[in-house]
Amino acid sequence: MNIRKITTLTEEITSEGGRPVDPPARVVVVAAVIENPWKGQGFVEDLTEGIDAVASDLGAELAPRVMEALGTELEAYGKAAIVGLDGEVEHGSALIHTLKFGNHFRDAAQATTLLPAVEKRAAAGAVFDIPLKHFTDATIRSHHQTLEVRVADAPHPDEILVALAAAAQGRPQQRLAPLSTEA
Amino acid sequence: MQQKLESPPSPTAFEELATRCGVRRITTVRDELRREAGRTLERPLRQAAAVAVLRNPWLGEGPESDLGPATERIAPLLGKILSDRLVEALGGVGRIEAFGKAALVGLDGELEHAGALIHTPYFGNIVRELLEGTSVLCFADGRAEPGTDLRVPLWHKTHATSRKHYQTMEVHLPDAPRADEICVIAAASDGPRPFPRIGDRSTDRPITTEILEGLLP
Repeated sequence: MNIRKITTLTEEITSEGGRPVDPPARVVVVAAVIENPWKGQGFVEDLTEGIDAVASDLGAELAPRVMEALGTELEAYGKAAIVGLDGEVEHGSALIHTLKFGNHFRDAAQATTLLPAVEKRAAAGAVFDIPLKHFTDATIRSHHQTLEVRVADAPHPDEILVALAAAAQGRPQQRLAPLSTEA
Repeated sequence: MQQKLESPPSPTAFEELATRCGVRRITTVRDELRREAGRTLERPLRQAAAVAVLRNPWLGEGPESDLGPATERIAPLLGKILSDRLVEALGGVGRIEAFGKAALVGLDGELEHAGALIHTPYFGNIVRELLEGTSVLCFADGRAEPGTDLRVPLWHKTHATSRKHYQTMEVHLPDAPRADEICVIAAASDGPRPFPRIGDRSTDRPITTEILEGLLP
């Protein structure tokens, strides 16, 4: 696995809607830019070899970094794969939609739910939004949120950007009625 | 009977003071570059930028207003909270080799408002001292819509003419600056550009426009 670059983004929101957020809301993302393991191979029918070569190592690299950047208990999480223009969206999905990738993060966060994800193909410097949901109950509405990310010169056409996102809380000033009240 | 207004409790951190001065968000980005030109770097280059998004304290005041009082109140706090984040992101002040700064004012503000928060000693001296530098801080500033990307210039914190340290870091600002806001940025890195090889002042030969002569028939 060739990692070209790792970007870490930390958001501390101290005010929202004109009111203080105390303690500040904390949302982080760690993105690794790697060489597409199927680069230059044309249409590869069976992606298993590339997945085995990369997915687990990538999860192991990113999970401790995102937990360290968060620096506190995690309550919501999500992930992203942005594939460079020469690759398939399926290549990004192959890397992030496997237990051998996601379980590193789930275990580190003591989480149980599926990680919500964004997958797309894009030019370097594309803006993408990572969805985050609650780490043990994906129906908890207060924790549905997204984080906007842009990495200046990634992914190159033959690269894939893979990211993990974590939040210490739900949305700042969240005040929607829970799902159960609408049943 | 009129209710007595309770004064807020005393701040316990610079972040809290900054929030009271209108800061709504602090964003820190760190890029760790491990490979360049297809090769793995012996030592990854790490760059970091810290951004404070705050309410423009001078909205609607016009060009006659005195920018001094708000600058003296706000700029040192910004210098402190942003420098602290750079030191943490790069693993200690001893690792920081280059630095720079920037400010973007929203569409309802004056360019001078952005300048006020970064171009005085109330910001610059704080950043310089906390990052243990002596150089003038290089900078970028401007007025922009939210969702903009800004390249923040950096140079060596004690040897501003060190050519191999000339570099920039791109910062994306998702929903800022709104029309009534200002983004203030401090940035730093822990080394020169990857594979620097364009010489330095000490190796340059004297160059004048004479070299243009003879290029055209």
